Amino acid sequence: MSINLQRIGLIAARDYKAAISSRAFLVGLLVLPVLLVVFAVLVPRILNSPSPQVIGEVALIDSTGKVAPELQHAIVPEEIARRRAVESEQSPLKAVSPGTASGPTIPRMTLVEAPSDTDAATYKSWLIQPRDATPRHLALVVVQPDAVTRRPGAAAFGSYALYASSRLDQNTESTLRNTVRAALIATRLRTDGLDPTAMATVQQVFQPDSIVVGSAGDRSGSRGFAQVLPFACGLLLFIGVMTGGQLLLSSTVEEKSNRVIEVLLAAVSPLELMYGKLLGQLGLGITMTVVYLVMSVFTLAQFSMSGLLDPILIVYLLAFYVVTYLVFGSVMLTIGAAVNQPAEAQALMPPVIILLVGSYSLTGVIGQAPNSTFSVAMSFIPPVNTFAMIARIASSSPPPAWEVWTTLLISLVTAMLVVWFAAKVFKVALLMHGRPPSFGTLIKWARMA
Amino acid sequence: MTAALEIAGIRKAFGDKLAIESLDLTIPQGATYGLIGPSGAGKTTTIRMIMSILFPDRGTINVFGQGSALMAKDRIGYLPEERGSYRKMTVGAFLTYMGCLKGRTRAQAYGRADRLLGRLGLADVNARKCEDLSKGMLQRVQFVAAIINEPELVILDEPFSGLDPLSVRMLKEVITEEQQRGATIIFSTHVMAHAEELCEQIVMIHQGRKVLDEPIAGLRRQYDTRRILLEPLDPGANLLALQALPCVEDVKLNDQGCEVSLHAGMDPGDAVRAIAGVVAPARIELARIRLEDVFIRLVGESNGVHESPEALRTHLQGLSNTGAAA
Repeated sequence: MSINLQRIGLIAARDYKAAISSRAFLVGLLVLPVLLVVFAVLVPRILNSPSPQVIGEVALIDSTGKVAPELQHAIVPEEIARRRAVESEQSPLKAVSPGTASGPTIPRMTLVEAPSDTDAATYKSWLIQPRDATPRHLALVVVQPDAVTRRPGAAAFGSYALYASSRLDQNTESTLRNTVRAALIATRLRTDGLDPTAMATVQQVFQPDSIVVGSAGDRSGSRGFAQVLPFACGLLLFIGVMTGGQLLLSSTVEEKSNRVIEVLLAAVSPLELMYGKLLGQLGLGITMTVVYLVMSVFTLAQFSMSGLLDPILIVYLLAFYVVTYLVFGSVMLTIGAAVNQPAEAQALMPPVIILLVGSYSLTGVIGQAPNSTFSVAMSFIPPVNTFAMIARIASSSPPPAWEVWTTLLISLVTAMLVVWFAAKVFKVALLMHGRPPSFGTLIKWARMA
Repeated sequence: MTAALEIAGIRKAFGDKLAIESLDLTIPQGATYGLIGPSGAGKTTTIRMIMSILFPDRGTINVFGQGSALMAKDRIGYLPEERGSYRKMTVGAFLTYMGCLKGRTRAQAYGRADRLLGRLGLADVNARKCEDLSKGMLQRVQFVAAIINEPELVILDEPFSGLDPLSVRMLKEVITEEQQRGATIIFSTHVMAHAEELCEQIVMIHQGRKVLDEPIAGLRRQYDTRRILLEPLDPGANLLALQALPCVEDVKLNDQGCEVSLHAGMDPGDAVRAIAGVVAPARIELARIRLEDVFIRLVGESNGVHESPEALRTHLQGLSNTGAAA
């Protein structure tokens, strides 16, 4: 049966124009950048925005008699800020503004020492006080006798008990725990005749950016970027396929419910109609992916990081987008042709969505271990393989070219099979009205065609 | 000359339901055929198979000598029974799009659309969105879309359903123009009056079978009329007295007078003279054979059909309200 390419082009162009000028598409196009801005910029700012400083007392029962001076030093806000700054510099994912301490507002805690033989069980009632009492009693720290010097024959040091006020917030408690930890370590070192400041300096290793050495020359790498890239590529693939597929489904349902389908079939064959629609939304998905890629490159260029993005990755991303879209888009198109109302499509969509979301959610795991047996196996099992492979290509340790091409070939064959099956169902389903079909019915229709 | 359409032994079933049992049909180029029968008879299924939207389980369909309508779509204009449009598109854009899909250039499609819209009383709707049109207006636009490509074969499935009398008249005029242009026209209807008015040849389908394939003129000759319409000179005349005449089977009174049914085999000329002898007529005439009567007689005579003539008539008339209005 001959296929008229001009008719396919006309249908594709109409669908493309109708979709790209629709409000739904424009909103969809803006959702991702807005979400990125929210998560990358606004959320950290909101989280780090100054909150009211917690001011209060922390009681200490120090049965060793050695920890109190160190804790007295460690609990000072300036010292807490210094420790945070050091931790931030040592983190693989540095803060947005390197060199500055990030985190919640530092509490101003005053240490109150109780006699070393105080009974903690009795003293803990010190924490119970009226709501508006000042000063606030925040917590009671009870240092165990062997917290600084191990008992003979013991492998580990003792620790401390922490009694907290019912009104103590999580951030202050966390800051207090870190402070007590620092004081205990410093006390243990000093008891062993070591200088805590020297030891801390010895342990400081600031994380450098890696330099990726390749035949094309060296380029600076970023561990954080390498961790995020597979996930971001998977996200682009997911959003492109999901948006294109959903628009394909909704436009087909609309054409069917508007009864325009038979008018179109007066002029074109069912296959021309299907290919035209697939092509139109494919163009739309590519437009969207390209827009996102351009925005990503532009953003990276703002931080002088555009060199981190390998151009071949963009080529592979577009190639994998096409085959993934053909697989999922064809299925969604078939569902659109089979049902009469958008609500009926919801009954058939969950397996498709689960498969798509499941494939996408693997990108994070695969990006972390791109050459594990699981990752390699997933690269060859459709329809997960395109997501798995793009995550591997985007990882810090990309697979050999033959694996990439094999995945592409498998995906292409899968896409052709799915399109073939979809075409069979599409022809029959287009004019079917009445009770919404199940997947079993779709298979029956494919046999009928 | 190659026939516009040749159907040979097609059969179509949907699951257990047999839609078309066996159908043979040849339509020469330039002819106007009416495909008639009650709803559910198989008309739309036949048309969809002609258009290669559905495919027969058995048999062949040739359109202009091609094995499938898919190879001759640009030469066909089709107005489906279930018609729709892109609601958000303007009328002009929709018609141009349909014209381009049917192999015309944008300029050709636009020009033809403009002329036909004017012809159908829609000269000013080009820039309006389809969703802003009334149902009747939209139906006329869809008719324009069907014939935008100046097709050689025009297939119209229930073209007049849902239209007001004025729109029906305008549509009939355009169909007649298409006939004069030389197009082959097939249209399906369950309103027999439309078929009588427009068609040269009638194909009747009932329960998936062709029960008639005759020229209208032949039908009139073949199926002799057995009804006489009488309007008496004296409005108070006793019309029921006519029942006493040997040639009269039944007398039905109406506002103007009465309708006299004759026994089978009676000579209408003798009957007219006999009736005029009993009641002085202001007007007396033989009623023309109605397709409805032919259909009922044929179906009643055929084997395996269990519907009574009254049920068939009710079925046809119940579905032909639009036709009555037209």
